Amino acid sequence: MVVSRPAIIIYTDDPDEDLLREVLSGIEEEGVLYEVHSHEGDLDTLAYDAANESMLGSGVGIAGRRLAMQMYRLPKGKNVYELDHPFFWQCRNLGANSARAIKKMPFKSLTVCPDDQSGS
Amino acid sequence: MKLIAGVDIGNSTTEVCVGEVSGSGGFRFLSSASRMTTGTKGTLPNVLGIRSALEEAMDAIRRPVSDLDLVRLNEAAPVIGDTAMETITETIITESSMIGHNPSTPAGAGVAAGELLSIRNLWKGRPGTSYIVFAENRFSFEETARRLNQYIPELDICGLILQADEAVLVENRLSRKIPIIDEVKHIHKVPEGKMAAIEVALPGTSIRMLSNPYGIATLLGLTAEETRQVTPIAKSLIGKRSAVVIRTPNGNVTENVLPAGEITIRGGQTVKVNIDAGAEEIMQSLASAGEIEDIEGQPDTNVGNMFSRIKSGMADVAKVHGEDIRITDILAVDTLAPVAVSGALAGETCMEKAVGIAAMVKTQHLPMQKIAERLENELHVKAVVAGVEAVMASLGALTTPGTTLPLAILDMGGGSTDAAVLERDGTVRTTHQAGAGELVSMLIQTELGLKSRVTAEQIKKYPMGKVESLFHLRLENGAMQFFEDSIDPRYFGHVVLLSPGEMLKIEEDIPMERILEVRRDAKKKVFVRNALRALQAVASDHDLKKIPNVVLVGGSAEDFEIPEMLTEALAEYRIVCGRGNIRGSEGPRNAVATGLLLSYIGSRT
Repeated sequence: MVVSRPAIIIYTDDPDEDLLREVLSGIEEEGVLYEVHSHEGDLDTLAYDAANESMLGSGVGIAGRRLAMQMYRLPKGKNVYELDHPFFWQCRNLGANSARAIKKMPFKSLTVCPDDQSGS
Repeated sequence: MKLIAGVDIGNSTTEVCVGEVSGSGGFRFLSSASRMTTGTKGTLPNVLGIRSALEEAMDAIRRPVSDLDLVRLNEAAPVIGDTAMETITETIITESSMIGHNPSTPAGAGVAAGELLSIRNLWKGRPGTSYIVFAENRFSFEETARRLNQYIPELDICGLILQADEAVLVENRLSRKIPIIDEVKHIHKVPEGKMAAIEVALPGTSIRMLSNPYGIATLLGLTAEETRQVTPIAKSLIGKRSAVVIRTPNGNVTENVLPAGEITIRGGQTVKVNIDAGAEEIMQSLASAGEIEDIEGQPDTNVGNMFSRIKSGMADVAKVHGEDIRITDILAVDTLAPVAVSGALAGETCMEKAVGIAAMVKTQHLPMQKIAERLENELHVKAVVAGVEAVMASLGALTTPGTTLPLAILDMGGGSTDAAVLERDGTVRTTHQAGAGELVSMLIQTELGLKSRVTAEQIKKYPMGKVESLFHLRLENGAMQFFEDSIDPRYFGHVVLLSPGEMLKIEEDIPMERILEVRRDAKKKVFVRNALRALQAVASDHDLKKIPNVVLVGGSAEDFEIPEMLTEALAEYRIVCGRGNIRGSEGPRNAVATGLLLSYIGSRT
């Protein structure tokens, strides 16, 4: 019997290691498991395949410095979030959101920096 | 054949109704329309709204406005309402001494007490002393964990406070499990060297030690007097998932009772009542004062300012001065308001007692004649002021199928709740009570701590649901609704309001159950109470049982739950009560405009 762990799947194609690390930190902080595999295809394919492969229905694709978050049953190319050459905090929040999608919690903002939000 | 229009100018909407009278006296309703009231009710800017409503109604029957033979305006009740909130308790923290908040992901679990130590000064730590370490967000989670691991064998580190949202990340890298609290915004205010206690509850539970005054006393070694002082802290931490309490030698937390001022009620006898006494006491004083002549508030309090604001507002509208403008009714409601605690570390709030007050001013009459003249000049159609609002509303309400005389109407608007009884012999008794839709909005806004009044209005008006996946949402009654196309991810996990045509997101993170409770409670507090008060005032011998049927009209009667609440509440008195259905087709709207047309026919025959 093949048992797959309930995890967020991350499919990568020559990913920027720093951005990948931030995405993983975001997921870890939310307390969800993840698996990273390399995969072939464009960004939309990476994210789409990852979401469909994930038992939890949440996946992330990373190609170079471009990232996409996708959820099971959403059409290919219609990514929930897409980032191109993002800041670290954006990657962190994208990772957190891929976990929050499973925990059914409100997403963190990818457009407003948390430091600006606090007004401090 | 004559075309006649009835126009009703309300506080928030202007409604019109167009009908045709044949030579033989036969009568037919043709169309109706409603528009936002432009300007304050009873002032010249209203003409704009009246014109566009008339145009819409005439468009519907493909006739120009100039075909009208007569426009009949209501003699609007000269009543304006307003609301104000007075907070009567206040929690003040001199020197920051507590953090109690709900970061979404604290880590570890348990209770710890120790001396506060900055992560930069770990090397200064002495073995044998318990420490609670705090770290600013310039230290990455790897750095924080590395430094702590280095000192854990040597020092007794029993808790951690983080500025960044990284509690789980740090915990996963620590060699010893300790409770960790993150997302503490103002970490620079944490005083190094002071004693602190920290608690993180297990998932699904809330803290137990720090929400208990004796728990805090145990952890921080407090005397009986000090324990009494920390009681407000414990109170404000109830229900949190994690908390920090810091003991500062000069620190002090007090719950103050604010001087909220007095209200002077001048009636049969003059009664003074302090707002601190609460809503119950204020309403009792109001009842004991007898027939109300005027009500005054102490200057420079919220309520006092509100009283003088509506008085001067009415003076501007009615162009009369001083003595003729009187506050004739108030409605006070107890409420709780989340107020930011001064000196807090993570933006925490404390539920403070508050009193919401709606007031109503009355004058002799509004300058409706001027509006009629202006309308006549602009449209070249004869316009007259005809009929008192309450009488017209009763006539209109009588077109609801299933009604009979004597009939009571309850007109629930934005600013005031009005009631009228139309007896078989044609006599009408009316009353105007302060407190209606706007007070409900204010209560919702304060109790939920919403930033904008608009959101509160929307919560009042629309049912809600929670977006649980990108394809479905769970409605407030537990039912599910599914969607063909995916929902915008911005809505995911949020509570949304289902307005016709679009979903409105509530920015604040408040559970749906809480919003539901506050919304229903606010509506009950205002409308059920006011309905009973108003009907009692107009019932013969003030006996509710002498009113056989009540028709609900006005904007708030269109609400999706208020009419049901009243039907239930009034069933106790064997009163038939329900939402009006004017002319069997209009719902609770258009009662006054319809009454204006009916009274025209009545006056001709």
